[in-house]
Amino acid sequence: MALEPKLSHTAAMILHTIHAGHIYGFSVMEATGLPSGTVYPAMRRLERDGLILSKWEQQSIADAEQRPLRKYYKLTRAGVATLQAMHKRYPLLQKMIPDPQVKNA
Amino acid sequence: MNTRLFLCSLPASIFILRCAAWLVPGRERAEWLAEWQAELWHVWQHYRRQSAGCFRGCPEITSFCLGAFRDAFWLRWSDPRWLPRRVFRTGSASRCSLCLAAWTAMSLLLCLSLPGARKAIQPSPYRDGDGLVTISSGGYSGAQLPTIHFRDYQSWRAGTQRLFTDIAFYQPILKRVHVAHHRGAELSIGRASDNLFKLLNLPTLPKPVDGSGAPYDARLFLSQDAWHRFFGADLRMIGSVTEIAGQRVLIAGVVSQESWQLPGRVDAWLLEDGQHLARLPANSTGFVLARMRTSRSSPSLDGWRSMYVRGEGGSNDRFDCISLAQRARLPFSIFLFTLIVALVTLPATTALPLGEYPRHNGRLPWADRARQWIFLSGKFLLAVPLVSLTSVDVAYGIHGLSPTAAQYVELALSYFGFLFAFRWILQDQRKRCPTCLRVLSNPARVGQASRNFLAWNGTELICAGGHGLLHIPEIPTSWFSTQRWLYLDASWGSLFPEAHIAGLI
Repeated sequence: MALEPKLSHTAAMILHTIHAGHIYGFSVMEATGLPSGTVYPAMRRLERDGLILSKWEQQSIADAEQRPLRKYYKLTRAGVATLQAMHKRYPLLQKMIPDPQVKNA
Repeated sequence: MNTRLFLCSLPASIFILRCAAWLVPGRERAEWLAEWQAELWHVWQHYRRQSAGCFRGCPEITSFCLGAFRDAFWLRWSDPRWLPRRVFRTGSASRCSLCLAAWTAMSLLLCLSLPGARKAIQPSPYRDGDGLVTISSGGYSGAQLPTIHFRDYQSWRAGTQRLFTDIAFYQPILKRVHVAHHRGAELSIGRASDNLFKLLNLPTLPKPVDGSGAPYDARLFLSQDAWHRFFGADLRMIGSVTEIAGQRVLIAGVVSQESWQLPGRVDAWLLEDGQHLARLPANSTGFVLARMRTSRSSPSLDGWRSMYVRGEGGSNDRFDCISLAQRARLPFSIFLFTLIVALVTLPATTALPLGEYPRHNGRLPWADRARQWIFLSGKFLLAVPLVSLTSVDVAYGIHGLSPTAAQYVELALSYFGFLFAFRWILQDQRKRCPTCLRVLSNPARVGQASRNFLAWNGTELICAGGHGLLHIPEIPTSWFSTQRWLYLDASWGSLFPEAHIAGLI
């Protein structure tokens, strides 16, 4: 029997936002309207639970653009599966922040 | 640069992030700070692009940086090695002990802040209180009401020198008192013989004289509470003269509220000499206080004695002499009595054994075993004052409850409180891991009730620290009568990574 993932609406919204292409903290804040004190701890919780992964960008890219290195986030396989379950639980998520596939179309 | 501009500036924002970084565990601090500083750079650029002209920061950036504290605190709280997390972790022994200690402290503070409850736990204010008795008819409940006729007092004063060294009378009456510069106030006045304060060892001034050189017939002592409430703590009224019940009375002083622990609510005391007190009707009732004569065989009176007086019809009237010291100790005596009764009746309400804990090949150090018993004893030691103070708070803190009713309330509350507390302590101890003392979790039903005679059937709980499993039988049988603990060896450690990191295994 598969375990039902338990995420709050806020966590599910952040997971969905990262999946929609907002791959760093400030971008998630802008897309969701949530404050930094909510977004960053939630992303750490999602990372601890193995739903997202963080990765520092390459030094050369940051050097070329003359800015500090940035940390990017992406969903893991478990994160994608959880997000699909969350879409059933919170159907309005997809309307709030459109999926990348929908955006591209 | 003004303060607001400075707080929104880039150096201030970086300073906020550096401060928040101190909350982050050391091994993650550098990476955490790098991520937040990079984000800050992007946030800064974002708002700079939006502003026209020279950009020196905005409140949104400061608010963004303040969010770092929440993030840092979350990281700190998630660190299984962090001591406060281990102390305040749900179900930990330290959390349980701290909660009990906090409740006990709160009960004590409440007790000290409620005048009635504070009076109940304080020792008797009267020096040499063992020899002091109240004389009444009808035991403790009778002692709360004025039951002694004035004529009886008059006759005892003359004929009981063998029993008492001194005897005093007082009678609470309601009288309106008028003092210059103040509105009249209706006070409950204890009309008393002038030796009352001397008997109680309360400080009094020598009898002052009026302008003609004659001493005043009566002196009025106000309680501190009445002095503040009705006369605004006016110092000028001390030494002034007023008229009560048709006689000139000198307002002689103020007496601390704590000094009065005798029956009857009294706002002021009117001390009268024998001649004036004798005007009271013979059949009016009041309270009588006396000092017992001590002898070598009975150096002090501690308790209750009966006095038989031959009445007018030839029958013996019984009166009770109750020691003031014993009255003051009554709340403590009730507490002690209920504690003993609760301990005696506890085995009738719950099983006392804590379960079967097998020997563990010497793995469980003696310190862990000692910790288990120290924790159990600590819970008992904290629960006893918690229950007794709470019962005193409720019984004596409620305004308007008669002293007798308060004693019954204390009796009932402390007995049931002790019983409930002791049952909870034993049940709580049974649900804890004997190694780390955390509350066991994840209950799982094992076996089927229909197969009770063929296989084990009951509930299984696990220690989150990976120390073992607790088996609780659904129906006690001859081979499994009580709960049984099963230690897990180190090979199970991989299933409990957080406990491994925290050093619990």
